[in-house]
Amino acid sequence: MPRHVAVIMDGNVRWARQRGLPSSAGHEAGVRSLRELVELCCRWGVKVLTVFAFSYDNWVEVEFLMKLFEKSIKSELEGFISEGIRISMIGDSSRLPKTLQELVSDAEDRTKNNSNFQLIVAVSYSGKYDVVQACKSIAQKVKDDVVRRDDIDKSLIEQELETSCTDYPYPGILIRTSRELRVSNFLLWQLAYTEFFFVQTLWPDFGKAEFVDALTSFQQRKRRYGRRDS
Amino acid sequence: MDFRDTMQKVYSWACQIGNLGLWIIWLLIHFAVDLWYFALHIACAIESYLISSGILKRYKALDIDKLRYLAIVIESEEAYHIPAVIQLLQWLVDIGVKHVCLYDAEGILKKSKESILGKLNNATLFEEAGESNLLLDHKHITLEFASFPDGKEAVAKAANLLFMKYVKLGGSGKIQEEKIFTEAHMSEALRAVGCKGPEPDLLLVYGPVRCHLGFPAWRIRYTEIVHMGRLKSMRYGSLLKAIYKFTMVRQNYGKSSFNYILLLQVVPHVLLKRYERTRDLDRKNESVT
Repeated sequence: MPRHVAVIMDGNVRWARQRGLPSSAGHEAGVRSLRELVELCCRWGVKVLTVFAFSYDNWVEVEFLMKLFEKSIKSELEGFISEGIRISMIGDSSRLPKTLQELVSDAEDRTKNNSNFQLIVAVSYSGKYDVVQACKSIAQKVKDDVVRRDDIDKSLIEQELETSCTDYPYPGILIRTSRELRVSNFLLWQLAYTEFFFVQTLWPDFGKAEFVDALTSFQQRKRRYGRRDS
Repeated sequence: MDFRDTMQKVYSWACQIGNLGLWIIWLLIHFAVDLWYFALHIACAIESYLISSGILKRYKALDIDKLRYLAIVIESEEAYHIPAVIQLLQWLVDIGVKHVCLYDAEGILKKSKESILGKLNNATLFEEAGESNLLLDHKHITLEFASFPDGKEAVAKAANLLFMKYVKLGGSGKIQEEKIFTEAHMSEALRAVGCKGPEPDLLLVYGPVRCHLGFPAWRIRYTEIVHMGRLKSMRYGSLLKAIYKFTMVRQNYGKSSFNYILLLQVVPHVLLKRYERTRDLDRKNESVT
């Protein structure tokens, strides 16, 4: 079983349009799919789930998403606390409304000691932005004499990436719905040996059967992580 | 006691029957899945043959100009099969692909660079081609060779360049940080450390695992990634199909995508081009007679 599963939740709007519903209905259905996936991950021993809510490059139709995000955190937080689920958010939070920033910060704080499972939500996230902010962080540490300039290498950059909030920063599998075949600037640094699973299903229709397919595909691959067979 | 013994025996017997039953069901499921994948494999082979032989005519209407830069990732063990790599590149030249980046994690293709370039006619190194217009010739191709150090290690080197710049400018304050540590400056720094290749439009992965094996992450933001299977099982038809499918996709670069809108735009355009070609041919024939 992969310890870390990453998901690009694509297709909410298309799902709604296919049914003659407003986009908001698609996003709400998407939240239900996410809830189901979180339960499955907890049950089946996955330790970390990272989901790409939306990109730093895509601030269209965001107002409704902000409200939905706020509503979801408020309704799910107590459940997450009781089930030992830790919530983390990665991405450029400075662009989020102040109320949402405070809510997220509070949720992260109240669940930081939970260890059964970690849900990482990437909001206004960009893989390139993640690398650049890691470099800024290191620059600050060099300035403060915490780190020497000669010690700057890829390991140091990895420690400063936003995914260092978890013990398992490298996803074993990346699932993208709606049959799009790209990573769209998500977790660029972290995906070197991640198995890609691109599935035709739209995100609101992604359920247990599709997740089993993805995990079966992951388990069947011979993974060498760049090493040769001895 | 006898009754208890009998019940235990019955229970044990029932468990064994149950386990046997489950094992048989498990075997049947595995068999069904294997049969399904076998059938899929046969269907792919037939389709590939039909595409290669030109029977499926739609693959002839390939707008190769949409594929500006192609990356090929080959699993390192398979990268030792240089004749297969050369065959693949020859197919790409025949299809009309102009720029290819060849990647394997261990740098085996880099080490075999001279041998690969020697075996292909009209192939030049991407770094040597530069701004010159070598590619007016349809059958010319530029090759870039990359390996694992061109990924994360290159980013670390580029980061060091930015740190040096930061220190030179006084290295203090949030504003200085914001000015120096930007995506654009990182891209520039990567070019300065020798990673000059652009972002590929399409990345084809040849190997047993469906991942990009450390291809320079900075370059694959919106790259389409297609797993092609093992290099030893490569087929011309599958290659052509993967490139054709890419040319039919519309990229929204981080926003929602609407493939059906692309189709509505492409179909009338193709029909119009055919009509114009036929009309021109007719006019030419009339003027000759």
